[in-house]
Amino acid sequence: MWERLRSLSSRLWAWARMRRLEGDFAEELESHAAMLTEEYRQRGLAPEQARREAMLRLGSMAQLRESYREQRGLPLLDRMRQDLHYAVRMFRKAPGFTLFAGAALALGIGGTSAVFNIADAVLLRPLPYGEPSRLVMLWQDDTTYGFPRNNPSPVAFDLWQKHNQAFQGMAALTHTSFNLLGQGAPEYLHADTVTANFFSVLGVMPALGRTFTADDGRPGAPPTAVLSYGLWVRRFGGQPRVVGQNLLLNGAKYTVAGVMPREFQFLDPEVDLWVPAQWTSDYIEARKTDHFLKVVARLRAGVSVQRASVAMSLLGKQLSTSDMSDLTAVVVPLREQVAGDVRPALLVLLGAVALLLLIACANIANLLLARGSARTAELAVRLALGASRKRVVEQMLAESLLLSCAGGAAGLGLAVLATGFLGQLIPPGISNSGAPSVNGPLLLFAAGVSITTGILFGTLPAWRGSQVALVASLKQGGGRSGVGLGGQRVRGLLVVTEVALAIVLLAGATLMIRSFGKLYHQDPGFRAEHMLTLQTRLQYPKYQSMARRSEFYREVLQRVESLPDVVAAGYTTYLPLADGGGGSLVTVENHPVDPKHLLIANVRVVSPDYFRAVGMTLRRGRLLERSDGADSPKVAVINQNMARAYWPGENPLGRRFKRGLPQLDSPWYTVAGVVADMRQGGMDVPVRPEAYFSFEQADFFPPDSLAVRTTRDPLSVTEEVRQQIWAVDSEEPVAAVMPLQEMVDRSVAPARLQTGLLGGFAAVALLLAALGIYAVLSFLVAQRTQELGLRLALGARPAQVLRTVMAQGLKLYLLGLAIGIAAALALSRFLTHLLFGVSAADPLSYATVIVLMASVAVLACYLPARRAMRFDPMAALRYE
Amino acid sequence: MTEAKAEVLQGTLDLMVLKTLQALGPLHGYGIARRIEQVSGQVLLLNQGTIYASLIRLLQKGWITAAWGTSDNNRKAKFYSLTASGRKQLREETENWERIAAVVGRVLQL
Repeated sequence: MWERLRSLSSRLWAWARMRRLEGDFAEELESHAAMLTEEYRQRGLAPEQARREAMLRLGSMAQLRESYREQRGLPLLDRMRQDLHYAVRMFRKAPGFTLFAGAALALGIGGTSAVFNIADAVLLRPLPYGEPSRLVMLWQDDTTYGFPRNNPSPVAFDLWQKHNQAFQGMAALTHTSFNLLGQGAPEYLHADTVTANFFSVLGVMPALGRTFTADDGRPGAPPTAVLSYGLWVRRFGGQPRVVGQNLLLNGAKYTVAGVMPREFQFLDPEVDLWVPAQWTSDYIEARKTDHFLKVVARLRAGVSVQRASVAMSLLGKQLSTSDMSDLTAVVVPLREQVAGDVRPALLVLLGAVALLLLIACANIANLLLARGSARTAELAVRLALGASRKRVVEQMLAESLLLSCAGGAAGLGLAVLATGFLGQLIPPGISNSGAPSVNGPLLLFAAGVSITTGILFGTLPAWRGSQVALVASLKQGGGRSGVGLGGQRVRGLLVVTEVALAIVLLAGATLMIRSFGKLYHQDPGFRAEHMLTLQTRLQYPKYQSMARRSEFYREVLQRVESLPDVVAAGYTTYLPLADGGGGSLVTVENHPVDPKHLLIANVRVVSPDYFRAVGMTLRRGRLLERSDGADSPKVAVINQNMARAYWPGENPLGRRFKRGLPQLDSPWYTVAGVVADMRQGGMDVPVRPEAYFSFEQADFFPPDSLAVRTTRDPLSVTEEVRQQIWAVDSEEPVAAVMPLQEMVDRSVAPARLQTGLLGGFAAVALLLAALGIYAVLSFLVAQRTQELGLRLALGARPAQVLRTVMAQGLKLYLLGLAIGIAAALALSRFLTHLLFGVSAADPLSYATVIVLMASVAVLACYLPARRAMRFDPMAALRYE
Repeated sequence: MTEAKAEVLQGTLDLMVLKTLQALGPLHGYGIARRIEQVSGQVLLLNQGTIYASLIRLLQKGWITAAWGTSDNNRKAKFYSLTASGRKQLREETENWERIAAVVGRVLQL
């Protein structure tokens, strides 16, 4: 054993220094030869003759050197070097094939690697928290009135935290915003109000200073804040001294407790700072029915998500009381939460690009088989000269591997280029930590895929190559003697596979394209063009009174609307597509109250002109008017969805409803009008019941979003609008300035990207499949030159020849089509989640696929067939 | 030539090389080949190059070492010498060989 190891290491070492050692050996042999020559000279031979005799005695130098090399180095490595050398020569001789195969592989391997890289970032890489696999999100199960994952109310959080057994810790957070004054322009900051244990539940440490302690969360404690790395650098120049300094947030003093590290974020990457929640029991009670929290919890060691789910569901039943909505918590692993909807899309893309790679493999295997047939003579000679069949397989596999690895290297380059672009697929919740890059897993993956691919497409041709029938091939001599009918059948099968796989991809892509078309061109209930949106945030206590706020809105709106390029302007609590939230319980008059089926509606507080500004359509009754003032009868406008849901089959006009549960003493609102449904949470998020109130008559949410309809490029009026707002209040920050069209584009961006990628993959697949048919038929035609020529000579009409050849190709296509359609129908259910307004079995999509594939197939068959038809019979007969 | 047969022949040559080095001390390839021919009474006329395959094998197993030196008539040559483990190997091989030779001899005399 030891000797073997020693021997091997010596060989390895020698192999590495082969060149030097060979020189050394040559010198030694020379010295030996000189001594022998000397011996012969002494026996009386002439110098030249002595030398010749010496060389004879020593043996053939070349052979010696060869056996030296075999004994000294590693024959396997040497053979590999030889094989690669030979393979490079083969590829040089066939640049067209090499380029095509390399490009197909680069696309396939590059695509797979790029999508893998994203999938790795989203689905595999650990989130940047302590023991992230134990972190879960808790949502309140309000399935009974349409919110299977509702934001928990403070009461729910409070009860869960007190009574649960499953979690080591539980923290709540809610979004808030601040107006930062002092040192420069007023700045609108995104913040999260978090319970004091938030950072410890996540298991993260600050970069500077400290995070919150229980003291920070005590009601009445001096306010503190933890800064994000971004805010610290942007606003405080990254100065460590910032810890302990005071910030002026909404006019109140906050002491900076610490700064988080750069990679830290939780769910929302835009959060600038965190402040501790100081909730009193009164506050919790008062906001009993408001669902606005997010809750993150850490499972106790050893408790599974499933066990926690069961425990929380039991706890929910125990805690439920008659006046409270369901207190069951839905437990969602944090990973699932942040990966969210992207997961199915990524899996579909990964599957699609893997299919593409398979098609490329089938295609290259096919081409290699064809080349193998053409190389029959060469292989036969090699076998005849004593190469073992194993050696031929080795040689041909080396060619495949060289090809796949070169393709893989180019593919890796493509993947790196594509990664930035594909990064859009990464949900914002993980973008900080999960930014994709060239990393170990990616390199490993690309290498693995390259080698697998090479073996996949290389094995069959290599094996067939080694099975060359020696005598027959040598006798036939020519380059056109095929591997026989068996080979033809194998190649036909490969083409059928290619067509079938391409059909699957095409079907998926067509469905996605149709779906995207519907998504993008639907009527969203608003008009996005020429629309500027921005946010203002009224400061408290300055704007504590409703009258003061109303004055601000009225004045800003009047000033903005008087701008020359502005058609209309309106304030709202939620812009279109901005958020699906803002849901409140509502009580409809004369509607029986069922505690299990409480009614809920998205509540929007708007200025009367908002409807006109965003371009909503009135269906019944009237819109809100300026005359619906603080002292007038309280009215509301509802959407069609709400009318249908809460007054089914009735005329909702003149009917009344109010916010909150029946026992809550809140004012009734009379329905004055019904507007068409408008997309609220996203272009593909279903519309919910929605009610609009005038800011003059509703004090529950102060509107903070301004929508301005313009006559020209909306961004061009930004400055004028900003000046008008500052003319009313110079301390008012103006944030999130954006054309509404951009919101629309953002909302459909993932769908657009997925569709584009799938479409691209499918287009390449179609091309490869067509090339597959074309290559096989061309080869067939070349092989049958003589026969077809004979037929033509004997009077067959060219059209007949054309038909014969085309039939052969179309047969393969039809078989592939049948298999492909069946597979596509079976697989398309994985797309269901991604489709909008299109069924996974959409007949129009499938018809399109069939027609598209058919036209490509006909073309791919026609070209070789036409060549056959045009054979000059004489030339064809002489060909052999 | 089958693998097994080759091995016997290789082994024989290796054994002779080891023995030669033990008897004469450090020696170059030419000297070893020459010595084997002489001792065998010119029965074994080697293709002298084959000696090198044997030398490399022995080197790889660590039984001999090699170093460049100068020959009697002032020529640069590579000298091979026996290592400790080579000596041990030679002892074992010699015993082995004698045993086998004795057995084969007895069998053949039957």
